[in-house]
Amino acid sequence: MRGRGLRAPPPISLMTRGSLFLRKIIWALITIFVVITFNFFLFRVLPGDPAKAGVKDPRLSPQAVAALQQRFGLDKPVLFNTQGGNLFDSQYFRYLGALAQGDLGTSYAYKSRPVTSMLGRALVNTLWLVLPAQILAIVLGVLLGLVAAWRRGTKLDVSALIFALFTWALPTFFLGILLLFVGSRYLGLPTGGRITIGADYASFWATAGDVLRHLLLPTLTFALVLLGEYMLIMRSSVVEVFSEDYILTAKAKGLTTFQIIRRHAFRNAMLPIVTLIALNLGFTVSGAIQVETVFSWPGLGKLTVDAVAQRDYPLLQGAFLMLAVSVVVANLVAELVYLRLDPRVTEV
Amino acid sequence: MRGWARFRRSKMGMIGAVMLLVAVVVAVFAPWLAPYDPYAPSSPTIEDIYAPPSGEHLLGTDDGGEDVLSGLIYGSRVSLIVGFSAATISLLIGGLIGLVAGFRGGRVGNLLMRITDFFLVIPDIALQIVIVAIVGQSLRNIILVIGVLGWTPTARLVRAQTLTVRERKFVLRARAVGGSDRYILRRHVLPQVLPLMLANTVLEISLAILAESTLAFIGLGDPTLISWGQMLNFAFTRGAVSAGAWWALIPPGLGIVWVVLGTTLLGNALEELLNPRLGRHFLEKEPPTQATPGTAPEQPELLLSIKDLKVTFEVGAAPVVAVDGVSLDVCRGEAMGLVGESGCGKTTTMLAALRLLPPGGAIAGGNIWFEGRDLAALRPNELRPMRWRQFSMVFQGAMNALNPVKTVGWQIAEAIRQHEPTVTADEAAARAGHLLETVGIGGDRAGDYPHEFSGGMRQRAMIALALACGPGLVVADEPTTALDVMIQAQIMDLLAALRAELGMSLVLITHDLGVVAESCDRAAVMYGGVVVEQGTIAEVFRDPQHPYTRLLLAAFPDIDQPDRPLASIPGTPPRLDEIPPGCRFAPRCPHAFERCHTERPPAYPLGPRREAACFLVERTWQGVTDG
Amino acid sequence: MKHRTLALLLGLLLVLAACGDDGGEETTTTVTTAPPTTTGGTVRIGWGGAPADLNPGIGVLIEDYTLYELVYNTPISLDLDGNYVPELATDWYVSDDDLVWTMKLAEGVTFHDGTPLTSEDVKFTLELYRDTEDFVFMPSYFDGDEVIEAPDPTTVTITKEVPTGSFEGRMVFMYILPKHIWENEDPATFDNAAMIGSGSFKLTEYRQGEYLRLAANKDYWGGAPIVDEVIFQTFENADARVQALINGDVDMVTEFPATAIPTLEANPNITVATGEPLAPDLTDIIFNVTEPEDCPADDGICTGHPALRDLQVRRALAQAVDKQQLITTLLLGLGTPGRAIVPTGLGVWFNDALEDYAFDLNEANRLLDEAGYLDTDDNGIRECPAAMDCGDRPELRFRLNYPEDSDTAPRLAQTLADWWQQIGVDLQIQVLDSDTLTSVCCPSFDYDVIIWGWGSDPDPGFLLSVLTCEEIPTGTNESGYCNPEYDALYAAQQAETDLDTRVAMVHEMQQILMDDLPYIIPFCALSSQAYRNDRFVGWRDDATKLALEDPTSLDVIRPAG
Repeated sequence: MRGRGLRAPPPISLMTRGSLFLRKIIWALITIFVVITFNFFLFRVLPGDPAKAGVKDPRLSPQAVAALQQRFGLDKPVLFNTQGGNLFDSQYFRYLGALAQGDLGTSYAYKSRPVTSMLGRALVNTLWLVLPAQILAIVLGVLLGLVAAWRRGTKLDVSALIFALFTWALPTFFLGILLLFVGSRYLGLPTGGRITIGADYASFWATAGDVLRHLLLPTLTFALVLLGEYMLIMRSSVVEVFSEDYILTAKAKGLTTFQIIRRHAFRNAMLPIVTLIALNLGFTVSGAIQVETVFSWPGLGKLTVDAVAQRDYPLLQGAFLMLAVSVVVANLVAELVYLRLDPRVTEV
Repeated sequence: MRGWARFRRSKMGMIGAVMLLVAVVVAVFAPWLAPYDPYAPSSPTIEDIYAPPSGEHLLGTDDGGEDVLSGLIYGSRVSLIVGFSAATISLLIGGLIGLVAGFRGGRVGNLLMRITDFFLVIPDIALQIVIVAIVGQSLRNIILVIGVLGWTPTARLVRAQTLTVRERKFVLRARAVGGSDRYILRRHVLPQVLPLMLANTVLEISLAILAESTLAFIGLGDPTLISWGQMLNFAFTRGAVSAGAWWALIPPGLGIVWVVLGTTLLGNALEELLNPRLGRHFLEKEPPTQATPGTAPEQPELLLSIKDLKVTFEVGAAPVVAVDGVSLDVCRGEAMGLVGESGCGKTTTMLAALRLLPPGGAIAGGNIWFEGRDLAALRPNELRPMRWRQFSMVFQGAMNALNPVKTVGWQIAEAIRQHEPTVTADEAAARAGHLLETVGIGGDRAGDYPHEFSGGMRQRAMIALALACGPGLVVADEPTTALDVMIQAQIMDLLAALRAELGMSLVLITHDLGVVAESCDRAAVMYGGVVVEQGTIAEVFRDPQHPYTRLLLAAFPDIDQPDRPLASIPGTPPRLDEIPPGCRFAPRCPHAFERCHTERPPAYPLGPRREAACFLVERTWQGVTDG
Repeated sequence: MKHRTLALLLGLLLVLAACGDDGGEETTTTVTTAPPTTTGGTVRIGWGGAPADLNPGIGVLIEDYTLYELVYNTPISLDLDGNYVPELATDWYVSDDDLVWTMKLAEGVTFHDGTPLTSEDVKFTLELYRDTEDFVFMPSYFDGDEVIEAPDPTTVTITKEVPTGSFEGRMVFMYILPKHIWENEDPATFDNAAMIGSGSFKLTEYRQGEYLRLAANKDYWGGAPIVDEVIFQTFENADARVQALINGDVDMVTEFPATAIPTLEANPNITVATGEPLAPDLTDIIFNVTEPEDCPADDGICTGHPALRDLQVRRALAQAVDKQQLITTLLLGLGTPGRAIVPTGLGVWFNDALEDYAFDLNEANRLLDEAGYLDTDDNGIRECPAAMDCGDRPELRFRLNYPEDSDTAPRLAQTLADWWQQIGVDLQIQVLDSDTLTSVCCPSFDYDVIIWGWGSDPDPGFLLSVLTCEEIPTGTNESGYCNPEYDALYAAQQAETDLDTRVAMVHEMQQILMDDLPYIIPFCALSSQAYRNDRFVGWRDDATKLALEDPTSLDVIRPAG
């Protein structure tokens, strides 16, 4: 417990919270480092070593092979160079060095194309798809969960529960195919792509409408699949918060139900959702793979699948690293948001 | 098998179990159930490809001219084999790591958990794709990859459960007498952790089935086998949508949904069974109150007059009566102590009086007259403006009664602004600070969160909150329990001083007779949901009429007679669903006679606002009425 | 796209061929019905892939070459009926000693940036293609002994030391690049984003994996296209592509599953066209027939089942394959049964006089019985004759591998297993990725049977070379087949410059392969495309080969109505 008089305007001393922030960030950095190392060894241990496979790849010219050997240091030991000279002149440290300069290598299948820029482009496209879907799913899931919890035990609650469980059990790709089938056959919605290419719309609204038409099916697929889990978690979280004593206090104070939810319940009930959103990023990746495959969306998921199909190891390794790092970062952000939302958190 | 009985009551769990069972039966008896053998050679013609459902093919045919129904039936085998095998692998790895991490704790445990956390951030689907693509897409590899990569949630869960079990008494005792780690793990920890592990495994099955179907869909399934994901992959890549062949798409998809839904429902029900969660909350729609029609008492000095109040609770099928015909009066400026053992209905009575009953509770009769209005008959929106302004409550356990994520000052100011809309935010904040100072907390602490306060401070803050709108009545529920004696005294002094200053009435719910004696004007004794005796402090303490009151007093240390031995009352108050037919205290009463066990004693008025419910006082009462 | 990886791995066979032929003064088979009444418009094309490289030297995908065809010109092109026709070269001569090739170039040709295209550009391009080792396929169209000269702005001569037959076949891939741009770049890494060519379309926007936009080159030297713009949009999923056509989001789709044909044909606004693919391809069932003495010394493992080296066994297996049934089930009838390694779509080179083995399980069983392969232990699988040394694999139990990126191979493998089981032959199916398949295949010969495929050049030379003894150690010969008689014929036809004589030799080689059966060729697939007939008309869907995305169609289509 902090002594009196030291209190600065923010609720909890900056020092305590600050060092907590710092610790979280350091832990995230350590995790990223471990991910990088894991990534390096994963692709060395598996039969498809990108470096080795690359050197054997008939698609590559001798010069390219030589460049690869130079870049990966294939003539060098894997971890530590104990054959004299620089201890760190090894494959692993070369990999780290290249990575530090943002160099993820060059794609095999798409020659002359740096992996970094390919990933960057795909990421932007995936965000186009994932962000609206996530937002839609969170907003709807949270609202539905809230209402279901508030009207617990009623028909509304039961139907919301069944709906959520059903969407949860739906494989993403299956839902995607169903929506593709219905949406394109009966509603005339576009079946792929992000915009009508080359269309020259008169107004901003016409353009926006076109984008929305294209986004509708993939976003809906994604959102529906995510929705169920958000709704279920929100529902139990809200029921738990609603059974807290301070809710009774708030009711005794004469607040309306709406005021109670807005001022006392919502923020607390959102805490598990924040964690879930970050954890869900891992799922978002798998969902993106499926949705992008169904709707021909040129994003990260499709790039990953293509990289697997073409044995494009540098691309795969890069994609993998990026996915893992983004999950770490998302978790960090979630934890920091958690810190902001809940003043009680002062430990770990 | 109480668990089984409870499980059978879980509708969703039963549905899930039946769904899973159907899938297992179909998988086992596939060769007998399927109309065709999808693995046998066939020579379809062009007409056989994507043929619509017919008598010959109930669910039509797929892109290879194969019977969809047969594929659906055989496909369940792959899904279930992958689901069960992968979940078992996850269970073994995750269970072992979780057990060791939880049981060992310390550095080993920490390290294991860090590793688990690390694997949690790796997007497992991407890793699955990479590994399956590289090691080859056989059923064995798919099971191994899904199983080996799916252990993290199990490990976390098992560790958490092991940690709690480790600190339990029987484990500590076993360890104290020198039980080996292996013995303790096997005899004490595992039996406690295993059920939860199994429930979790059921959920893992559904995740593994989804993962298998996803792999198959993106073309990484075992190509020599027929699985639902594989069927969907064929349908999707070979133009089922274009051909309008919904029958090739929907059945395998619904097959996956069926099994995943079944396992999810079953897993959730099992988890709920082992780890029941509260299902109810304070904002549920209030059941309609059944106020007895009546007219307000015409005594202006009466602030609160509870008449014949009856409160029921839903427990299981039949509602139980928690408060049965309680009548209590509180005059303006008066302090009344409501005493009795725990579970006698004191708090329930007052929560009902303020229409704050927890979910499941309902007012089943009687009236609650307050300032001429029957609170039991008011609609929630009529009641709302009266709350806190006319009556407020100091809840038991102020730690939880204050919102942990709002500052204390804000919570007080909120009450003020709610009822006095003209007050500005600054004024409300200033008043909140002033109120905190009144209860002995520096106004500069208004910006603190509840967890930054000590227990006593929180209790005072709660009192400050209760006083925020200057109510006529404050109900304080055990305001001093769990506080040390010094602070108890301070808080009681504070309440007394404030009451004197503000002229409000107080109902003090407590089992501490000393506190009542010191700070109240009147006392009411409750037992088993009824008031057994009430009167002034002097009457009740000096001349107790009900044997229960007497025994209560005897159980309480008396400052005047410190050497008197304390007599505890044998037995416990009755369970609400086992209320004895006669006097509720009869089973424990040293003076009980036959009539006490069969007939319920009425409350005999023994004087002005003085009564006792015991056949022993019938004669006295007769004396009173006769005299 | 099913053969993409295969094409990548196996070198120069490259699945591409025809070039645009465009008006001009040369004779083409283009049927221009009437002068266009309406012009302009944007043609939207849905396809499954997307170009990956704008640099013609390093492109490997079919879609890359579709784009090159539209943006660049080649000296000579191959029309949809398989004839070499003039493009940039209005005329060409071969000297009597077959050593000097002379091309006369069309006049007034300009690049998209207005620079004239002259013989200097052609010389520069050919030398670039010959000398840039990092280029994937281009150097293989040269022997290295060529001396290329540009005596005047419209003449190019190529002088060789050793004569070779197929001059025209080499020129159809030579996309002529502007020297003034490429001479300042490192050709191996140049991204060629501006893509300045001389073709009938200019690249205006390129989004990797999403779409590309091409504007009609209204100043095209060979006659400008009628439409204004062409957009290629990627729909990876076939159903999405088909649905886009039905909804009218696109005007043409380049590929779709055969199962969609009934739906598409039922739509009056949609026309379905079927024909030979631009690059004829074939699916093959490869037997490992490597004799111990032919096993490559360095890389050979040579674990093939000895029984497969017995011609009688291969004949039995061939008689237990119902090619027509496979075409029905796998291709919905859109394919032709294959014979030897020359695809049916290769015109005169294909020997259609070859007699195929009839599907006859009884005969197959009889052949095996006769050769002494009997099921002595009565487990349903035949054993090697006692006199034969089958090592530790006495039973006729063969490993069967196929690449994971094929969408017909899984069903093909299952069906084969069903048939062959009935003649006492057991298959152990394992899917492999292309890399692993290459490593078990050749030159290690660590397999029994493989299902794979080939795409073909317009000239059969390369595919015929696959079965020569010389190619066993290189890994190009997949079966380990070695027949001196065949090799002699191969060498002779390579040097032969008289077409008819060479055709006869090539036909004879096919007869040898048909008799010796190192491969079974179950089928050569046809391709099908579909377009909206209410949007644009004039699509070239009447030729032997079908390629509506080719300039042959895009240059001449016009808005309907």
